[in-house]
Amino acid sequence: MNKNHIVEQLKKQIENFEAQAKTEKVGKVLEIGDGVARISGLSEAMASEMLEFQDGTIAVALNLEEDQVGAMVLGDYKGIKEGDEVKSTGKILSIPVTEKMIGRVIDPLGNAIDGKGEIKSDKFYPIEKVAPGVIERKSVHQPVQTGIKAIDAMIPVGRGQRELIIGDRQTGKTAIAIDTIINQKGQDMICIYVAIGQKESKISRIVAELEKNGAMNHTIVIVAGASDSAAFSFISPYSGAAIGEYFMDQGKDVLVVYDDLSKHAWAYRQISLILKRPPGREAYPGDIFYLHSRLLERSAKLDEKFGGGSITALPIIETQAGDVSAYIPTNVISITDGQIYLEADLFYKGLRPALNVGLSVSRVGSSAQIKAMKKVAGKLRLDLAQFRELEAFAQFGSDLDEKTRAQIERGKRTIEILKQDQYAPMLVENQVSIIYALINGFIDDVAVEKISEWEEGFHKFMKSSKKEVLEKIAIQKELSEEIVGDLEKAIKEFKEGFQG
Amino acid sequence: MKISTKQYAQALYELTLEKSEGEVNIVVEKFVKELAKNNNIKLASKIVDKFEEIYNKNNGIIVAEVTSTNNLDKDYLDKIEKYLINKYVAKHVVLTNKIDASIKGGIILRVGEDVLDESIIKKVNNLKIFLAQ
Repeated sequence: MNKNHIVEQLKKQIENFEAQAKTEKVGKVLEIGDGVARISGLSEAMASEMLEFQDGTIAVALNLEEDQVGAMVLGDYKGIKEGDEVKSTGKILSIPVTEKMIGRVIDPLGNAIDGKGEIKSDKFYPIEKVAPGVIERKSVHQPVQTGIKAIDAMIPVGRGQRELIIGDRQTGKTAIAIDTIINQKGQDMICIYVAIGQKESKISRIVAELEKNGAMNHTIVIVAGASDSAAFSFISPYSGAAIGEYFMDQGKDVLVVYDDLSKHAWAYRQISLILKRPPGREAYPGDIFYLHSRLLERSAKLDEKFGGGSITALPIIETQAGDVSAYIPTNVISITDGQIYLEADLFYKGLRPALNVGLSVSRVGSSAQIKAMKKVAGKLRLDLAQFRELEAFAQFGSDLDEKTRAQIERGKRTIEILKQDQYAPMLVENQVSIIYALINGFIDDVAVEKISEWEEGFHKFMKSSKKEVLEKIAIQKELSEEIVGDLEKAIKEFKEGFQG
Repeated sequence: MKISTKQYAQALYELTLEKSEGEVNIVVEKFVKELAKNNNIKLASKIVDKFEEIYNKNNGIIVAEVTSTNNLDKDYLDKIEKYLINKYVAKHVVLTNKIDASIKGGIILRVGEDVLDESIIKKVNNLKIFLAQ
């Protein structure tokens, strides 16, 4: 390329450049601190409009008062001085959206932060958007396979559902969400993991784990780290929802994990208090309920007429010492369509995932379960409920009648089967076959401590020599008599070969 | 109840509306006493600013500032004045000329919070952003 060519190109570009001057609205910074600026003037600013400082930093107008505007600064506010000029942009806060974001780690404004180059897009979606209405929605009917036996069998999640994951710190909340993301490989689902106020070390560990399991190819990670400003933590879940909506509008299925909404509430409390909004219970502002309800309401299953896409939300809430009746947990429990309740006691007993089956519910997911799973899950739940009732008697061992003892033994094995390692999601056909074997008493004669070995061997056996049975379950999605016959034959065959 | 600067200024404007000079003096004296009674003397300068704003708005007066690299001649200022009277449907324009060499050329016109930036430096910056895309 010669010099003249470059000059020609430049001339052409400059010709296209329109130098039209517009009247702009300009205000002045009255005070700035703690990520919040008070700006005079800007009489025509809209709520949640983007404002631009002299140095290009963006702020969002939150409080519109008589003669000043309270705005939260997105990013670094150290370069901004009192008296600086602030322009209103006339645009509501929006972020770029594109397919190229898949596989990337971005900040809540859509900028890449994984060092793999800039993400360019000319399409923008507003951060705050009104959720789909009644006409556009359809009831949940397709499953999200989490790959976790206990959840897929007893607390099933459907596409378009909002299922809360709640528990104390260190009980495996994030692990469930990550396992679910890993299990979406090849399930035609785009996953968005939103880290809100998380430790950067934890985020990098999660990204590494997703990469190792090949899950980054269908995942977007949005990071508002613990060292980023509260404004970033505040907008990050809305960014996640906006990107999710972009894919949902194309008729795709999206899974969004908000990890976690307690920290989101803290960030919003901080901004509200600095903006001098009146504090309410636990010093949260009055609209803290709406903060989460408007976010979670944006997950939906759309009707085929509107593309048929969906956003499934897995919000996470961290409780303090198991207190689910605190302000934020009760709020989010009432908004969501069910919760997965994790308990520290169970976790320390070695039951992982540390699921409390009694307190966990899924209000809409059962209509999304495949028929085969529905058939075996009913009996599983019953076995477990009976076991829980009798558990106290288990210590008296010998004084029990035959039936009770059988129920206790079955319960012990059920608990054992429901244990599952992290990063080891299981296909639904495998889940159905092992649960079938369990509830029909094929494992009753295996010693409790041998169960995990038995299960591992069983799955290996099924995969290597009875593949066609698994495939049949996966395709037909129900347990027809033919499949039941094949399955029972396979289980018996394996039992004969198993050296306990 | 707390009385805001704006309310004070509005009251002062309404009290002095269509009054003779003598009457205005009496009104202002009473107004200042009221301020003192309410312990609001410190607001005086802000009230004056606000009063000016209200007075200008009601009488069609606009205050404008034009920034340029050197002093603009009378003809040019007249043209700007005419433009402003048309644009803001004003009766009278108070125009001041500010000199700032850092804008390189062109003018910046400022009326209240409206800014019309026609400076060379701004255009060059816009061109830079345009070419970078």
